[in-house]
Amino acid sequence: MNYYEALGLQTKLTLDADDLKKRYYERSRQWHPDKFSRANADEQQKALDTTALLNDAYRTLRDPVARAEYVLEERKIHPAKTPPPELLEEVFELNMALEELREGDQSVRPQLENTKHKFAHMLDEIDHGIAVMSSLYDRSHDESLLHAIRSVLDRRRYVSNLMRDVNKELNVDLSN
Amino acid sequence: MAYSDKVIDHYDHPRNVGSLDKSDPNVGTGMVGAPECGDVMKLQVKVNPETGVIEDAKFKTFGCGSAIASSSLATEWLRGKTVDEALAIKNTDIVNELSLPPVKIHCSVLAEDAIKAAINDYRAKVAKTTPVAAVTA
Repeated sequence: MNYYEALGLQTKLTLDADDLKKRYYERSRQWHPDKFSRANADEQQKALDTTALLNDAYRTLRDPVARAEYVLEERKIHPAKTPPPELLEEVFELNMALEELREGDQSVRPQLENTKHKFAHMLDEIDHGIAVMSSLYDRSHDESLLHAIRSVLDRRRYVSNLMRDVNKELNVDLSN
Repeated sequence: MAYSDKVIDHYDHPRNVGSLDKSDPNVGTGMVGAPECGDVMKLQVKVNPETGVIEDAKFKTFGCGSAIASSSLATEWLRGKTVDEALAIKNTDIVNELSLPPVKIHCSVLAEDAIKAAINDYRAKVAKTTPVAAVTA
């Protein structure tokens, strides 16, 4: 049973957050292992397994990015083995710039803050793009949109790594 | 997961970090990456056009220790090899030399891809400047 089936949903890239939460709570109550304390071993195990599945399903599906990753994974649309050269160039340059700042002293802190804002802005734009393409896909079921989302997610992975690095740098500075 | 001593050595003292002039006709540049882990690796070779021997190799990798060690080792191996010998380097050679664990094998694949990309780039440059080669390529 996949995550959507576990929550009684059809596979869609856009989901209503409140409806999702309601379904998760209802089913979690229904399958709560305490309710099966007097059931036989098989049923107890089933309650445990179902609860674990529901937790994983909710955690994944409530986040639009993790949800898109999950749907693409289910559809066997994997991250590109060879990312487009322009993406690699972009990521390489961003990393070089970040490394230069990293080697600087406290005076580069404002630049690091700027870089953080820049990455945050990139992530916002990426997430907005994913949201737009997700709703387009749910209406049209156009396969090419899934592949487009895949490449956006690939880029997102790089940018979120950069964001992690810049945050790490800012936090290290704070502790000094 | 523990890194092997060789990985740590290459990570702490990476060989041949840097870059070569991308516009040099004898320099081939390979840029590869793995979106799953967010790694990006640039590897460059400078080939002697007369002998086909790689005279210099540089890399710059943003990624985990294994990715850095794999590309560092690759540049060490590339120096002094002919272009054909370089293409014969397999990711499994890197895995064995660095004792990479299974979850890090993709880092060695990335290094092999970077070698191939750099050499293909060099060959494409040669083909462009040599009309005869361009026809047969």
